[in-house]
Amino acid sequence: MNDPRSRRGFLGAVGGAAAIWLAAPWPELLAAGAPPPAGQPPRFQTLTPSEATDLEAMAAQIIPTDDAPGAREARVVHFFDRALGTFAKAQRPLFAEGLAQLKLEVARRRAGVTSFAALAGSEQIELLKALEAAKSPFFEAVRVGTITGLLANPAYGGNFGKAGWKLIGFEDRFTWQAPFGYYDRT
Amino acid sequence: MVRELATAGFKVVALEQGPFLHEGDFRHDELAVSQLAALTNDFTRSPNTYRKTDQEQARPRNMVAYGRAVGGGTIHYTGNLWRFHEIDFIERSRRGPLAGSAMADWPITYADLEPYYTRVEWEIGVSGQAGASPFDPPRSKPYPLPPIPIKSTGVLLERGAKQLGWTAFPAPMGILSKPYRGRGACVSCGFCETFGCEVQAKSSTLVSMIPDAIATGRCEIRPLSYVRKIETDAGGRVTGVKYFDSANREIFQRAKAVVVCANGAETPRLLLMSASKQFPNGLANSSGMVGRHLMFNGGGVAVGLFDHEVNGYKGAVVSRVVHDLYELDPKLGLYGGGGFDFRWDLNPIGFALGGLPPEAPNWGPEYKQMLRDYFNRTVLSFAHTTSLPVETNTITLDPTLKDSWGLPAIRVTHREHPSDMNLYRYFMDRADDLLTAAGATRRWAFPFSDVPPTQNPHLLGTCRMGSDPRRSVVNRFHRAHDVPNLFVVDGSSFVTSGRGQPTMTIMALAFRAGAAIAAMAKRGEI
Repeated sequence: MNDPRSRRGFLGAVGGAAAIWLAAPWPELLAAGAPPPAGQPPRFQTLTPSEATDLEAMAAQIIPTDDAPGAREARVVHFFDRALGTFAKAQRPLFAEGLAQLKLEVARRRAGVTSFAALAGSEQIELLKALEAAKSPFFEAVRVGTITGLLANPAYGGNFGKAGWKLIGFEDRFTWQAPFGYYDRT
Repeated sequence: MVRELATAGFKVVALEQGPFLHEGDFRHDELAVSQLAALTNDFTRSPNTYRKTDQEQARPRNMVAYGRAVGGGTIHYTGNLWRFHEIDFIERSRRGPLAGSAMADWPITYADLEPYYTRVEWEIGVSGQAGASPFDPPRSKPYPLPPIPIKSTGVLLERGAKQLGWTAFPAPMGILSKPYRGRGACVSCGFCETFGCEVQAKSSTLVSMIPDAIATGRCEIRPLSYVRKIETDAGGRVTGVKYFDSANREIFQRAKAVVVCANGAETPRLLLMSASKQFPNGLANSSGMVGRHLMFNGGGVAVGLFDHEVNGYKGAVVSRVVHDLYELDPKLGLYGGGGFDFRWDLNPIGFALGGLPPEAPNWGPEYKQMLRDYFNRTVLSFAHTTSLPVETNTITLDPTLKDSWGLPAIRVTHREHPSDMNLYRYFMDRADDLLTAAGATRRWAFPFSDVPPTQNPHLLGTCRMGSDPRRSVVNRFHRAHDVPNLFVVDGSSFVTSGRGQPTMTIMALAFRAGAAIAAMAKRGEI
């Protein structure tokens, strides 16, 4: 849980993002922020195809697609791929192990099914709720990473087409004039 | 400080542990800058520990946040530049003592500092409206710049304050409402807090003071220089400092005088690390007061949802302030006081990870819907208050944990005074009242405890100023009682905490100290 009394803590959800993405020297982070790809998503550099499929399915339950794009359309899995290969490298083992365990858990629950992505939506949600209830650090890392990838600058690989920003109503114009909102308009 | 000394004709070397950045280096990149603290201290290299009392074993916890770059905290600050009021300097004699607190009057008064507050406003550029607050202390000059434009959060605060019989007045901000001294006006990008300004409109020392210092030809700025010890001679005078340069080479810089402006956490740490034969308890610490009386400023945040778009992310963070509770009715039995603003300083990631009501889901369809509904309609009602000086709230050297240079980590020992807990709760409730009065349709708050928050940016009181060398570290001109050519000028000099916005007073003290040090040096008194 972040620390709401702290000016910085309230802002930064310090117990969340910073704890999850801790080992991130700034220069590496900037290096990770290459220009966003146009058109087709890039090939995965860090995740295996099967890891990427399951991670994307998890992300798609955290921020589902409805009438608006969700984590899938925002290419959050590509944010993970880039982050885990660069500034969040230290988190790679947590993800590798977490995704491997997830496969085992899926097989335990549904004989013959070997991938989280292959479960029915309701089964995926049930499993994620169980992970959350068990305070799984892996689940928390995926949750925080999904939200971060949805809303970080598109240069980090997620928030494709600014889908996350559009969802919440944030415009990246960075130059504004009054009136700024409804209440200062009149 | 370097600007005042260099323009007075002295040769100055400024050692800064962080890099020398410029506006072209600053980015609207929430992940790098806000979430991962690009402009502040790096906990991976400089860890902290925390314990509530000295009976406990301290554990790693990110406790202090300070600007780690040339320009320090003024690069990433929000720009709230409230002056202290008269009461802040004399609260002890006005209100009497309080058990468990080392409340004391300052050795200077508001009147002593007023000319320097005015200098700060005119030198760095502060926007505001003189006379708009019925509680403002006397001032010798108006603000050099008109207030920044009001935004919806400011209109809502005006509405709430009016309902409660209070006054919301234009916030004094270190943000240029018009071009000033070669710098352009604010473009209302909204990325002030935790960010560096990309257009020089935020009045940091980086853009307002450092260029003047360099232009004298007498000031050398050495970034990426990590000071590890202040050296002294057998006579008990400072001879210079030892530091690690960017290649980790240890270098000695000789000096006729040393001025420590390393903030309220690193300053006491450096003095404690500078222990020697003559100064076994740390440099300038015969009183034992170095590192004591650590104050963070308190307060509380209430959150409210409104019917229409607030768009708090556009424009400078704060446009209106309320000071009606700067001093409280003594009948309340509380010590201290505070002020309020309305803001929405949560950028997209910060909002999504920590801005929704505590009972809200944090993933799934309902969570997603709340992100859509809340981002542009939510307001933080922010109370900023005093916190009491308590002798046992300290910065000390951790006995085991080291930083990346092998030096002892900062250890924070801190427990809120019970009176402060009551004060924070009172202000939290009034912050909530303001939201109700402003018409919020849903309100929530966050729990708090007597364990301080993490990443505290206000680091105050740890080398307090005073007339009694047994009870304070520096005198009224910031000269160490124990060492004639050592000065300490930053938040550590504070005797009391003020009402939650210390930067203006830190800068005013720096101008005053700079003038005093230059005058003493010219008289051959250093």
